[in-house]
Amino acid sequence: MKKLFLSLMLLIATSTLAFAEKAQITINGIVCDFCARALEKTFSKQEEVEKINVNLDTGIVIVNFINGKTLDDESLKQTVLDAGYNIETITRIKDAE
Amino acid sequence: MKQPFLWLLSLWVVLFSGILYARPVSYPDGWTLMTNHDAFENDLHIHYTPNINYSVGYKGIYFQENNAQFHGIQFNYLLKRINKRASQANFYLKSGIGMHHIDNDNAFAGFTGFAADWEDRDYFVMYENRLFESANLDRNFMQKSRIGITPYVGDYGDLHTWFMLQAMHRPNSLDNKDKVTITPMFRFFKDDYLGEVGVSSRGQFMFNLIIRH
Repeated sequence: MKKLFLSLMLLIATSTLAFAEKAQITINGIVCDFCARALEKTFSKQEEVEKINVNLDTGIVIVNFINGKTLDDESLKQTVLDAGYNIETITRIKDAE
Repeated sequence: MKQPFLWLLSLWVVLFSGILYARPVSYPDGWTLMTNHDAFENDLHIHYTPNINYSVGYKGIYFQENNAQFHGIQFNYLLKRINKRASQANFYLKSGIGMHHIDNDNAFAGFTGFAADWEDRDYFVMYENRLFESANLDRNFMQKSRIGITPYVGDYGDLHTWFMLQAMHRPNSLDNKDKVTITPMFRFFKDDYLGEVGVSSRGQFMFNLIIRH
């Protein structure tokens, strides 16, 4: 009975745990503030995206998705192309909240 | 003969310097206001960018030497962008058509020019030219180039500062001393605002402002 109760509690806990997905993308050509701003404005039009963080030194952009939503690799590539740049790598990150 | 030579010279500088600077195309759905003020011209350009390949908008020029004005439409086309891991280069074609007003005389006029830039986090180089011609026989050519260096590398959102040296060639200037001018200047950039201020080797004040939305 005790085992059953603990299993039930564990099930409830994991089912309510939300996973916010992030994508770490390496982008070519972002060398200035204006480049970062262009990316920010273009990504802000995507309803799946909560915000982005740009590191101009490394050329790495972290795309934070809204809980339960995401963009596939092709959509990420197209969004970056629309902003005028191109993606070198994409790495998916899952953060528990 | 002289004009083709200047165009060839411009092309040579573009191809072999590998670097030119000007940003006449913004991000998709972006509006940009650009004003340039120096001893020769006051320019106003307001453009809309539908996508990263081109922009279109109003162009107004006041030519101080002959008290003339131009009002028209300008098209900016991104010929090529080269994105590298730590640098970016752009090549643009800029053209416009409109009306030229001089001494109560109105005439159709147009201009075309090439612009390009290269920059990384520390340095940049730019070049651009423009050939302006109107039906009332006013014709002028100008080309300018810049080199720049930043005293510090700022993060995204910081105030960015650049020190630049601009060389401008205006072979049609009435005063021989104005045919070539050198202008040390500062550029300040933060968020959607970019300002440039400088004083030329002849003591002429220069001020440029760009606002993006």
